[in-house]
Amino acid sequence: MSRPALRATGLTKRYGRLTALDDLTLDVPAGEVFGFLGPNGAGKSTTIRLLLGLARPTAGQAWIFGVAASDVVRAHSQLAYVPADVALWPQLTGAEILHLQARTGPGTDEAYRDELVERFALDPSKPARTYSTGNRQKVALIAAFATRAPLLVLDEPTSGLDPLMEREFRTAVGAARDRGQTVFLSSHQLSEVEAVCDRVGILRAGRLADVATIQGLRGLHRSEVTVSYAGAEPVLSAIPGVEAVDAPGEGRLRFTLTGPPAPALRALAGADVTAMTVREPSLEEIFLDYYGTESAR
Amino acid sequence: MSAGVISPASVARPHAAHAPGRAVTVLAIRQIRRGGLIVVVLLAGLTALVAATYGRVMADPAAVGSMQALAGNPAIRTLFGEPAGLDTAGGFTVWRVGTFLAVLLGTWAILATTRITRGEEDTGRWDMLLAGRLPLRAVLARHLAAVAIVPVAAGTGIAAVLVASGTPARGALVHGAGTALLGLFFVAVAACTAQILPARAPATGLAVAVLGSGLLARMVGDGVTELGRLRWLSPFGLLALSGPYLQDRVLPLLLLLAATLVVTAAALAAAGRREVRGGLVTFASGRDARLTLLAGVETFAVRRVLRPLTGWTIGVGAYYLLIGLTAVSITGFLAGNPALADGAAEAGFAEVGSVAGLTATLFAILAMPAGGFIAVRMGAFVTAETDRLLVTLAAGPVSRTRLIGAEITATTGAAVTLVTAAGLATWAGVTVTGGDLSLAGALSGVWNILPIVLLSLGAAVFAAGWAPRLVSLIGGLPATGGFLLLVIADSVAAPGGVRDLSPFAHLAPVPLSEPAWTASTVMLVAAAALTVVGVAGYRRRDLGS
Repeated sequence: MSRPALRATGLTKRYGRLTALDDLTLDVPAGEVFGFLGPNGAGKSTTIRLLLGLARPTAGQAWIFGVAASDVVRAHSQLAYVPADVALWPQLTGAEILHLQARTGPGTDEAYRDELVERFALDPSKPARTYSTGNRQKVALIAAFATRAPLLVLDEPTSGLDPLMEREFRTAVGAARDRGQTVFLSSHQLSEVEAVCDRVGILRAGRLADVATIQGLRGLHRSEVTVSYAGAEPVLSAIPGVEAVDAPGEGRLRFTLTGPPAPALRALAGADVTAMTVREPSLEEIFLDYYGTESAR
Repeated sequence: MSAGVISPASVARPHAAHAPGRAVTVLAIRQIRRGGLIVVVLLAGLTALVAATYGRVMADPAAVGSMQALAGNPAIRTLFGEPAGLDTAGGFTVWRVGTFLAVLLGTWAILATTRITRGEEDTGRWDMLLAGRLPLRAVLARHLAAVAIVPVAAGTGIAAVLVASGTPARGALVHGAGTALLGLFFVAVAACTAQILPARAPATGLAVAVLGSGLLARMVGDGVTELGRLRWLSPFGLLALSGPYLQDRVLPLLLLLAATLVVTAAALAAAGRREVRGGLVTFASGRDARLTLLAGVETFAVRRVLRPLTGWTIGVGAYYLLIGLTAVSITGFLAGNPALADGAAEAGFAEVGSVAGLTATLFAILAMPAGGFIAVRMGAFVTAETDRLLVTLAAGPVSRTRLIGAEITATTGAAVTLVTAAGLATWAGVTVTGGDLSLAGALSGVWNILPIVLLSLGAAVFAAGWAPRLVSLIGGLPATGGFLLLVIADSVAAPGGVRDLSPFAHLAPVPLSEPAWTASTVMLVAAAALTVVGVAGYRRRDLGS
């Protein structure tokens, strides 16, 4: 498909003097599972509210499959949404809410919905007021996954789910991907994004800090190398790509390495290296790199 | 495993000196202060106003005699309470607005109590509060104390303005204390139903039902001499039995105080015996799906309005049935006493000498509950938005116009049903007692007030679009505010321009006369304009989350 599932250009939202979202420009091609990462308060939910036309942008515009986000009747007939904090009509049972969602939503595959109810182990006969946070989330997830909407917008959808249900969630995302559905997954959980997403956008303090594939994101960052040696300490100063050299203990050195490792290996070759470990940074650490220094506004 | 044990002494308690209870009390007060202030000002203000008008109404000695004679008619007693002590400014004020203000205070007390106790618990906001050092019982007690401030302040205000208007202090105190106790009683009742039932709406409904049956018991007890003892079982009856400015009895008030204390104690005891977010009564944990009226936004709006509509229809219908049943007796009595009919007209009940005239007067009052119903329903729509319930509907392929349009349509249909039911109840009551009121007459009478009801809807929709927090207040303005404005303007002889601001000033007494088509058309056009502007605002504003 030539049209992106989701497009934002210069999307900005200000509440008085607070800028919740600043000049977001983003394309999510159809069929992609896109992770939207950011800490609490970074503007993830604001972005989604703008994409859904629930709030109006101060500046900029958003499109869903080429339809202006403000044209909700056409735009919403192509998407399904799971809010971050699911609130359900307390007097309706799970089954009644699913029925209402199916009738007012973009169309539902009822057989698949029943299958999802089984897989997520939801008791749909209970009134929503008795549901826990996780169960409310399940209702919203089942309603969204059961639609055949080409775009699924999921706002922190697993925060209340247990690990077993998280696995079901990942399976359902995989099935959606296999059907060609686009998934826009907002999250602050790296493991989740790492497990299911093709590409990640990182939002920090209302600004898009980076968009990269998971692999690309890792590649951008340095590896951590630890060596043990006997005898004279290897000289690592002024080696290109080597930084933050420190000695965690007697006869050990630790440093970070960016770019090609050859110069560092040549410098180590002259020493009596007894052990060497190279560790890929976790997304967690990459994430902290983004937020660690400038987390507060 | 002594290593895992933390010695209590080693745990820092930085704010142990601060009283957690005070913070909870402050929280509770913050939730009711605005509405509470309005209630206190309204009760004291209206009392002062009516006491001040006494001199003008009673300037004619003949009128005094007529008003005295009214006391003998059971129907008048049924509807407006026993007119005792009408020859004094204090007694007149108590009769004219005492019951109305007591009902207002009782209703507010119920709504406020269930809102800040069970309502907050329903939303889960109390979970955090109860994770603190205060147990449920203490949190409830502090919230009740906060709501209780309002009836006490209102009663004090009423007594103060009555004393200031020169009425005897003892009567003023009895009436002020009685009104305050009635408010406190309904705080306690609502607290109790909020412990028994595990959700806000049924808790409110049960408490309102208690208020309604109390009022009904007082009406029957006042009207039927043999059943006079019923009044001892009703808080409104006890208020009447205290006889401010006449007998000034303290015993009924002591009984009301004792009942209030017992009910409060029961509520607090129940709070100690139940689980948070549960009630003494639990609903079935599961049930079969009921899929009727869930097929779309429009039918779902109808489904949500059905239950409240049923409650309102029962309450309003019962009142108008009672009016119908007593209309023949009242009008027959008044027709035989022309001077008395004039007196009634002076007291604000125009042309009550015929069934048509009497019902026309009382149908006008119907605009208040019907307008109130509209304000409450549109308020619930905005609350559903702020509680994030609407978001899943709004995320579907449903335009904002359709979303609020469905609500407007369902609410309008419900209001028309409510008003029609009142008309039917009146007609049935009159017909059963052999009176002369045609079905068409009754229906044209109740439908005559629809322009005011729709004006309330227009105001509520306008507020939903531009000032969503004020929906209930602005929605209640045309009917309740308009009626109060008329009463006040009449009482202080305000310039005609002020009086004409009230839609009630332009209402023809249907079925006594033809509807005022021009005025009705103007109101309908204004209602339509407000609705259109409100929907436009709703289309473009951000939805609350």
